[in-house]
Amino acid sequence: MKRNLTWTLYLTVFIGLCPSTYGDSPPSQIDLSKFPATQLDDVVVPLPSEVFNVLDKLGTPNWRGELRMPSGSSRGARAQIALLLGSVVAEGFVAVEAADKEQVKKIGRDVLELSRAIGVEKTVLARTNLIVTKADAGDWIAVRRELDGALTDVKNAMIELKDAQLAHLVSLGGWLRGTEVVTSVVQKNYSADGADLLNQPDLLKYFQERLATMPPRVRSDQLVSRIQKGLDEISPLIHQKITPASVKRINEVTGQLVKAINANA
Amino acid sequence: MRYFVRRIFLLLAFCSLQNPVFATVDDAISRALEAIDPYVKQGYIVRDDQWGGDLAVKEQKAIPHTLFKGNDYWFCMGTDVDNARIAIHVYDSKGKLIENDSWQKGRFAAARVQAPATGTYFIIVEVLNSPKERTTWAMVYGFK
Repeated sequence: MKRNLTWTLYLTVFIGLCPSTYGDSPPSQIDLSKFPATQLDDVVVPLPSEVFNVLDKLGTPNWRGELRMPSGSSRGARAQIALLLGSVVAEGFVAVEAADKEQVKKIGRDVLELSRAIGVEKTVLARTNLIVTKADAGDWIAVRRELDGALTDVKNAMIELKDAQLAHLVSLGGWLRGTEVVTSVVQKNYSADGADLLNQPDLLKYFQERLATMPPRVRSDQLVSRIQKGLDEISPLIHQKITPASVKRINEVTGQLVKAINANA
Repeated sequence: MRYFVRRIFLLLAFCSLQNPVFATVDDAISRALEAIDPYVKQGYIVRDDQWGGDLAVKEQKAIPHTLFKGNDYWFCMGTDVDNARIAIHVYDSKGKLIENDSWQKGRFAAARVQAPATGTYFIIVEVLNSPKERTTWAMVYGFK
């Protein structure tokens, strides 16, 4: 009896010392549906650099052929300017890949102009100056860092100005142009690894939810409404195995949306 | 004597109220950046953005993130609370532990992932133990 009690005591102490949740040696499998952790964010929106970093490793596409001349005009509704700002930053990454100094410098100036139009110019002034000087020096890694930083700074400034909706639109504009570029590159030289880059259903869902919860005045914007429909069309294509045909269709849809963002701005 | 004891108690209570809140997310961010610093030297690009807050002991937080196949990530976590122990681990969307490497040294912790496929992953942060009721933490990440 005494021995049993001693063992019970040992066992109690041992169980007490065991971490109740994983600590030093985490479980190799967890049930996410029963997971006790609360979620911090809906989903972290990756930086354009993260996508272009992978594209760098997939080969050497004709980046000059992918370059577009985005409209740097700051006319239009705030929603359109926010979308345009995001897509212009994404274009900056294409220009970096193409090692096109003049285009990168123009994009740096456009980012400043568009930021001015939505009242966050001061936030990105130092970044845009650096984009221009680093492009002149051909320091492409630094240019990428400043483009990423400009995007983050603009979004944070908008959130501080209690304009999170616009911040989401900046991210969405960047995602649309980024996805257009990825699909264009993958389409020209299809590979499973390349197509795998499009496996972003949660990110797409995040953007769809952000649009759906925007105030009616933003949702009723013709451009925003068109983008919402475009995302609805892309969604099933991303939720299944990504084939060459789906890459082509995603490229068409995102291309049309980017054109619409640039139209009449 | 009784009056003196009461005064001491009041003084102690006052002092405890006057203690500045040293634990701030800014300090935790500094620690997280300290944890990622060795990887910057290895060519990892650190995102100029941070995630953070405060957690009770054994409380966990999940940060969903789209990771891309072909990228190599380090997620680093830090806290400014002395003698606290924290942990960070990465799971895929099916709940499988996916990290290639991880370490935990007191108020620093990190996990490395070479994403086997592009998709959503869950970065799970946790305070293992701490002398404080709530422990401020921050996470940063880098990729190459």
